[in-house]
Amino acid sequence: MPKQILSFTVNGDKVDLLVPPYVTLLDALRDEAGLTGPKEGCGTGDCGACTVHLDGKPVASCLVLALQARGRSVRTIEGLGTATALHPLQDAFVRHGVPQCGFCIPGVLMAAAALLEEHAAPTEEQIRYGIAGNLCRCTGYTKMVAAITEAAGMIKKGAAR
Amino acid sequence: MRRFEMILPSSVDECVKALATHGAGAKTVAGGTDLLPQMKNGLVKPAVVVDLGGIAALKGVTNGAGLRVGACATARELELHPEVRKRYTALADGAALVGSVQVRNLATVGGNLCNAAPSADMAPPLMALEAEAVIAGPKGERRVPLSAFFTGVRQTVLGADELLVALVMPAPPVPPEAGLYVSGGSYIRHTPRRELDIAVVGVASQVTVQNGRCVKARIALASVAPTPVHATAAERALEGQPLTPERIEQAAGLAVEAAKPISDQRGSADFRRHLVRVLTRRTLTAALARARA
Amino acid sequence: MSVMKTTRDVKGVGLSIPRPDGPDKVTGKVQYVADITPRGLLHAKLLRSPHAHAKIVRIDVSKARALPGVRAVLTAADIPELKGKPASRAHAVLAIDRVVFAGQPVAAVAADEVAIAEEALDLIDVQYEVLPASVDPLQAMKPGAPPVAELGTEADLSEAMAHSAVAMAKGETPTKAVNVSQTAHVKRGDVAKGFAESDVVLEHTYRVPMVHQGYIEPHAVLAEWDRSGNLTLWASTQGSFNTRSEVADVLGLEENRIKVIPVECGGGFGGKIRALCEPITAILARVTARPVRYVMTRREELEAGMPAPQVIIRLKTGVKKDGTLMALEGETVLESGAFSGTVLAVSAVFLGSLYKWPAFDIKGSEVLTHKPSVAAYRAPVAPQSIFAIDSQMDALARALNIDPVAFRARHLSKPGDPMANNQPWASMGAPEVLQKAGAHRVWKEREAWKKGAKPGTLRGVGLSLGGWLGGLQPTGASVKLNPDGTLSVLTGQVDIAGTNIALAQIAATAYGVDIDKVKITTGDTDVAPVTGLSAGSKTVYTVGVAVLQAAQAARKQTFEIAAAELEAAVDDLELVDGKIVVRGVPGKGVTLQSIGKKGNLYMSKVEPVIASSHPAFSQQAPAFASQIARIELDPDTGEVTLKDFVIVQDVGKAINPLAVEGQMQGGAVQSLGMALTEGLVYDDQGRLTNPSLLDYRKLTAADLPNLETVIVEVPSPAGPFGARGVGEPPIIPAPAAIANAIADATGVRLTEAPLTPERIALALARRGAG
Repeated sequence: MPKQILSFTVNGDKVDLLVPPYVTLLDALRDEAGLTGPKEGCGTGDCGACTVHLDGKPVASCLVLALQARGRSVRTIEGLGTATALHPLQDAFVRHGVPQCGFCIPGVLMAAAALLEEHAAPTEEQIRYGIAGNLCRCTGYTKMVAAITEAAGMIKKGAAR
Repeated sequence: MRRFEMILPSSVDECVKALATHGAGAKTVAGGTDLLPQMKNGLVKPAVVVDLGGIAALKGVTNGAGLRVGACATARELELHPEVRKRYTALADGAALVGSVQVRNLATVGGNLCNAAPSADMAPPLMALEAEAVIAGPKGERRVPLSAFFTGVRQTVLGADELLVALVMPAPPVPPEAGLYVSGGSYIRHTPRRELDIAVVGVASQVTVQNGRCVKARIALASVAPTPVHATAAERALEGQPLTPERIEQAAGLAVEAAKPISDQRGSADFRRHLVRVLTRRTLTAALARARA
Repeated sequence: MSVMKTTRDVKGVGLSIPRPDGPDKVTGKVQYVADITPRGLLHAKLLRSPHAHAKIVRIDVSKARALPGVRAVLTAADIPELKGKPASRAHAVLAIDRVVFAGQPVAAVAADEVAIAEEALDLIDVQYEVLPASVDPLQAMKPGAPPVAELGTEADLSEAMAHSAVAMAKGETPTKAVNVSQTAHVKRGDVAKGFAESDVVLEHTYRVPMVHQGYIEPHAVLAEWDRSGNLTLWASTQGSFNTRSEVADVLGLEENRIKVIPVECGGGFGGKIRALCEPITAILARVTARPVRYVMTRREELEAGMPAPQVIIRLKTGVKKDGTLMALEGETVLESGAFSGTVLAVSAVFLGSLYKWPAFDIKGSEVLTHKPSVAAYRAPVAPQSIFAIDSQMDALARALNIDPVAFRARHLSKPGDPMANNQPWASMGAPEVLQKAGAHRVWKEREAWKKGAKPGTLRGVGLSLGGWLGGLQPTGASVKLNPDGTLSVLTGQVDIAGTNIALAQIAATAYGVDIDKVKITTGDTDVAPVTGLSAGSKTVYTVGVAVLQAAQAARKQTFEIAAAELEAAVDDLELVDGKIVVRGVPGKGVTLQSIGKKGNLYMSKVEPVIASSHPAFSQQAPAFASQIARIELDPDTGEVTLKDFVIVQDVGKAINPLAVEGQMQGGAVQSLGMALTEGLVYDDQGRLTNPSLLDYRKLTAADLPNLETVIVEVPSPAGPFGARGVGEPPIIPAPAAIANAIADATGVRLTEAPLTPERIALALARRGAG
C-alpha cells in the first residue's frame, strides 16, 4: 500500500509526513514525527493517554486515522510549553508532585489545557469531568485537581498583568 | 490494524459512488470511535476505508422550523449547542454522556446511530424527538423514521451503497409561539462510572403538555433489546392524561414491559428491568419539570 | 516540618521535595520502552488461544511465513529449550501441545510493521480440540473437575518469597487433590468449644474477583543481541535483576550475558515483577538477528496479563454479648489461574492475627483454573483478606450494638502479641492508626451527617483497618564523592513511585549535604549493584538502609581524609556548608570539593571516596492504614457517591511527605476500584467478557472526591530514620470501608466485591419485597 503525504500543522509548524493510510494519528506523531509524548495506553479511546488537540479540541489520537488530520492543526504535549519555559500547568504538576510513573501525564495535561481554554476558572467538578477521560493509576487524582486549580489561578494572574 | 486503502471523497455523490464500487469491503469512518476499536480488535477488516471528514454537507447543526443535525456533527457540538440545550434537551443530555470529552470531540451522531449498538446514547433522545434519518444512495435521497432505522444488533436499514446524511426533527413546542403547549425532554442512563462508560439502561422521554394534560409522550429505551425501542404502551397510557406521579409510575411499569433485556457482564436482565422503571419515572418527571420551566 | 540533624540541618529527610524527573515527565520527554525505536526494528505479535482449555492438534504457519514483510514465525516446535521445563508461566512462552487459558500464546511473529504482523497472525491456521475447562475455583476443587496441570500440581512459592511478607504458616505438603496446588492451615485453641460458648455467631462468605493491576503502560520490551551472543533487554520491569534471572532461566543463558536496562516503568503494582513477554521477544530477536519490540495491547493485558487471584473467604465468628471474642473459623480459596503462584499464607495469617481470637482454625487452598495465572498486586491478597475480616468485625460490632472503633481497638493485636503463625507481632502502629481514625471528624460526626440526607437518598459512614507486614530483600547501593564536592548515588532500583528522591534525601541527610548536591541514578544490571524488586513496600525500607549505610561510610572516608589533612581527630571534625572543619576552629577546614578533587587527580595519593553497602534483612516493619468513607446512596439505582474519603496511615517516618501522600492517595483509589467497580468477568467457557478499559472500570476523576491524608509516624526500629513501607497499606482497607458504609446506610451487608449499583439495588429491592 503506497504511503501518502499528510500535510498538516504540528505544534505550530507546517509539516509534511509520508504515512501509510492504515496508521492512526497517534502512530504518525510518534513514529513519523518523532513526538513520543502522546502515549498509547489502550488504543481504543478509553484511557486518554494519547490525548492531543485537533483544531484546538482534545481528542483521543488513537482513534483518528492519520490522513483524517490532513489540513488540520495538531498540538501535542511537546507544544504545550516552550523550549525554555514550562506551561503553568506543567509547572504546577511538578511542584505538586503529580507525576509518579508519568505515563498518563501528557494526556492529562492536554485535557487540562483544553479545559482551561474553555473555563478560565473551573470548579472542582468541571476539573474532575474535564480529566475524567484520562485514567491514572498512580495518583488518585487529588494532586492533579489541586495542580490544575492552581495553574488556572496562575494563568489568570499572568493574563491580568 | 490490518492494512487498508483510504478514500477521501469531498461530496456525498463521490462518497456514494465509492461505496457502490467497493461494496461490503468498504467502511465509512467519521469520528472513528466505534470503527477503530472494532478494526483493532479484528472484528471488521475492511479493504477500503472512506473518510467522511471532507464532506461539508454532512457537517453542522441547522436550526429552523425544526432541527437538522448533519451526520458528522459531533457529540460535543450537540452537547454545547445553545439551541439543542434549550429545546432538544434530551439530545443534549444523551450527547453529553458519550465516552469522555476526548471521545465526544470525535464521535458523530451518524456514527452513534450507524454503529447500531443497543446502548447508543443518542438514539433514544432522537427517537423521542421523532427524528427522521436522511439517507443518500445511488438512487437519490430517502427518509426513514429513526424508530424504523434499526433492524437488529449492529444492523440498520442502510444498504452497503447508502450513507446517512442527516437527522431532521420537528421542533418541540415551547412558549410563547406554541401558545399553551409546552414540551420538555430528558435522557438519563445508568452506568457504574460517571464518565467513560456504556449505558446499562438508558431512557429518553419527551412530553408535550397542554392545559395540564399530556398531549404527546415519547419514551425510548436503550440497552434493553436488540435495538433501541419505544415504550409504546407507556406512551399511550400518558397521552390525554394529567401527568400525576401515579400516572407516571404506571407508565414506568408499562415501559418495563417493552424491555426485553438480556443478562451480560454490564447488567442482569432483572436489574435492567428494574432500571427501566426507575429511569422512566425519572425522565418523565424531569421532562415534565423542563416543560414547565 | 522536622528535619533530621547531622552536623547541621541539611535539606534532606522529611522535606516535601518534588521528584527531579518531574519536568521530563510533564513535557513528554521521558522515554518508555515503546518510545525507543532503533534502526532495523521489527515488531512482534503473538497469536493467542481463543479457548481456555484445548489440545493443539496442528499448527500451519506456512501462509504466514510467505507474507512479504514477515521475518519470523515461531511455534513451540521451533524453540527446543521450552521442552522439559517445569510448568510455570515464565516457561509457558508458547504453548506446547495444550493450551490452559484463553489468551495463552501459541505462535509468535516478527515483521517489518505491526499491521503486517497482525495479518500474519490471521494467516496462521491452528486446529484445536476443545476440552472441558475448570472455570469456577470451587467447582475446580471437586473430584472429576477438568485438571489444569498435567501431572498433579506443584506449589510455586517464589511469589510468596519475593514478597517475603510472612514467614510461612505451616504449609502442609501440597496435596494431589484435583487442581489444589497449595494448602495452608493455622490453628489455635478449641474452636468448637468457643462457638458453643458464644452468644452471637455470624457466618459470611466473602468474594473478590480477579482484578487487574491496571498500570497505564502495557507490558513492553525491546530485545537485541550482539554478534557474541550477548542480549540487551530494554524492559518495563519492577526489578531488572529478577527479569535477568527469569529470562536467563528460560533461555538457558548465563546471567552475565544479559543486560537488562530498566526503562522508565509506566506503572507495575506487582504486575511487572515476573517475566511475561521478555523471553519470546528475545527469541524472536535471536532468530531474526534484528532488534525486536513487543508492546502488548490493552486487550492482551486484560485477557492474558497476570491479574490478582480471585479470593473466596468463608468466615464464621463467635462472640459473647459483652463483645468478648470467642472463636474464628475460616476457609480461604485463592484462584491462581493456570499456574501456581499466590501468597496463600498471607491470607491465613491476616485473618487470624489482626485481632486476638483465643481460638481459630483457618484453612487455605490455592486452586488452579483454566484462566491466566496470577501475580502480585500491591499487598497481594491483603485487601481481599481484610475485606473479609474487617467486614466481619464491623458486622459483629453492629450485631452487638458496640461502637465499631472501640470494638476493634479492644481486640486489636499489639506489638509482641502472637500472630497466627505464633511469631510475635513486630513493632507496628495499628493501635495509633485506629485511634487517629476514630478521632477524625468524618468518623466522629457521622450521626449528624447522616441526619442531613436528602429525601430519597441514604447516607452512611464506614471505617476499616488493614495492614501489610512489609517485604524484605537483600540489596545494594553505592555513594561516591565527585571532584566538585557533589554526591552520586547508584542503585539498580526501578523508581516508579518517587523512591529515588526519597533515597537521595536519605543520602543527603546521612552524608551531611543538601539534597541539591545529590544525584541518584538507576543503573542497568551490568553496572548497578544488585538490587531487589520495587515491590513489597520495601524500597525505602531496604534500599534506604543500603543508601544510608553507604552514605555514612562515604562520610567516614571523607572525614578520615580530612582528619589526615587537618592533623585532627575524626571525632573533632564536623561538616558545615560543604566544608569539614575542626569543631571550634572555624578557620581550619577542608572543602568536600578539594577532597573530591584529590581523589581524582593524576599522581594523587588520596583515595577516592567510594562507599557501597549491600545489606540483607531479617526484621519486617508492618505498616497499617485505616480508611474512612462517607457515602451517599441512591436506593433506587444503587449508585454510591463517595462524598469524603480519609486515609490514615502509619509510615514510620515520612522521608518525603509529598511522595508519601501520592502513594496513599493512589493506593486508596485502587482499593476503591476493587471496592466499587473493578473485576475481570469470565463466561462459563473461561473467556473474559470485559477485555477493555471501557468495561474493566477503573475509577475516573469524576467518580472521586479529594482524598484526605493523615500521616502517622510510629518509627520502625530498623528502617532508615524509622521509615516503614508506604506503598501497600493504602490499597487494603477500602473494600471493607465501603461495605461497612453501605451497611451503615442501608442495614444490608454486602459480601461480594465489587459492590456495584446492581448488587446494592437488587439487595435493597429483595429486602423491600421480603
